[in-house]
Amino acid sequence: MDVCTFENVGIRGTNIVVLGVEKKSVAKLQDERTVRKICALDDHVCMAFAGLTADARVVINRARVECQSHKLTVEDPVTVEYITRFIATLKQKYTQSNGRRPFGISALIVGFDDDGVPRLYQTDPSGTYHAWKANAIGRSAKTVREFLEKNYTEDAIASDNEAIKLAIKALLEVVQSGGKNIELAIIRRNQPLKMFSAKEVELYVTEIEKEKEEAEKKKSKKSV
Amino acid sequence: MAATFFGEVVKAPCRAGTEDEEEEEEEEGRREMPEDREVRQQLARKREVRLLRRQTKTSLEVSLLEKYPCSKFIIAIGNNAVAFLSSFVMNSGVWEEVGCAKLWNEWCRTADTTHLSSTEAFCGFYHLKSNPSVFLCQCSCYVAEDQQYQWLEKVFGSCPRKNMQITILTCRHVTDYKTLESTGSLPSPFLKALKTQNFKDPACCPLLEQPNIVHDLPAAVLSYCQVWKIPAILYLCYTDVMKLDLITVEAFKPILSTRSLKSLVKNIPQSTEILKKLMTTNEIQSNIYT
Repeated sequence: MDVCTFENVGIRGTNIVVLGVEKKSVAKLQDERTVRKICALDDHVCMAFAGLTADARVVINRARVECQSHKLTVEDPVTVEYITRFIATLKQKYTQSNGRRPFGISALIVGFDDDGVPRLYQTDPSGTYHAWKANAIGRSAKTVREFLEKNYTEDAIASDNEAIKLAIKALLEVVQSGGKNIELAIIRRNQPLKMFSAKEVELYVTEIEKEKEEAEKKKSKKSV
Repeated sequence: MAATFFGEVVKAPCRAGTEDEEEEEEEEGRREMPEDREVRQQLARKREVRLLRRQTKTSLEVSLLEKYPCSKFIIAIGNNAVAFLSSFVMNSGVWEEVGCAKLWNEWCRTADTTHLSSTEAFCGFYHLKSNPSVFLCQCSCYVAEDQQYQWLEKVFGSCPRKNMQITILTCRHVTDYKTLESTGSLPSPFLKALKTQNFKDPACCPLLEQPNIVHDLPAAVLSYCQVWKIPAILYLCYTDVMKLDLITVEAFKPILSTRSLKSLVKNIPQSTEILKKLMTTNEIQSNIYT
């Protein structure tokens, strides 16, 4: 099986969690809305995946049912760790059953727990899951992760805007065609999932490019 | 009858050699029916490799390199290698198509052996207008094992000149790379080289370690060059994405600094743009992956 080529980035800020994904180019006659990579599992948890779309659909449906079932049974929304563990256990079962193949998806799951703590988890087809402060999945995940390791600082995630810009900057390192191929979603504490429109993403991209230019001007002034 | 290690039953030949009845039966089985011969000949005709002239579409009477003198021959096999040459080499000069190879095998998507359309996998030969002894071959079709020798004969001939240098570019899946490390930890895509004894220039990447096994047409060309003492080098890109992919194509970039390609490449930023366009037109393929 070939490796999926599209990048996903997840960042855990102080008061915000951000998911950024590289959009696949759609055919002219295809409805773009049906090609979504970021899906809400519940009001306070969402997931971005990379891999086989059909497998992702099955996993997301099972996770959504589990979120509601948990809420009805124990009267509390799921914690991000619980639903991640559920998804990871499901994936692991399929690696150890006869006549089945593993789910071909890696996922980034973000959200806020009831106690207000932001969480970011990553799962892979083997069924392992780990918590991260910031992570990337996809073909150039190494490059993006190196960028995040250099630039993920307390200042960078102090404000919501800075965390969003960090996610976009990380994606711009590897995404070929700039802002128009980036899809962004955020969850703020006690607020539902917000999907950014293309215009809003473009605004951030323009702001980032301006900052870059100014930083370069300052550098050249200093060297002179 | 005898049983092998794997449990299959095979007919062991009789050492006594005097069992006439058995021999007669075997002879009958070996004797070819006319229908079988006809079918075999039809199949051989279908699988024939034909080298056609560009304009007239008639077959070349002699091999390609006997007809045209050649000092440098660059062969790209596979769609990533073809995309690399298209973007970085072919757009840096004026190349003229001198011919194409038409062949059919079970890997071809069409059953029509005579009218392969231009969107199908192809095998084209070009030479540089400003220096006609520089040749380029772009082969994106699969050349089956029984067709490889025919391809070599039609292109190189039975007695090739030794004063030319061959560069072959191709891709293989990273799982073909023999190593003690796990494939997940390999920095794919990465480049490895394998060369003939007469190739004296340095390679731009590490040589392929033992067991240095290569497959298909690239192996056939390299073996042919080794036998005929032609200097040749194969650049093999091990990748985890076999379809047309930007990162895999860019992994070939170190080759641009080698002696054979340096003089042919002019505008690298423009080539990168052309490559990106090529990728976008191919990207909207399937919805299996997101």
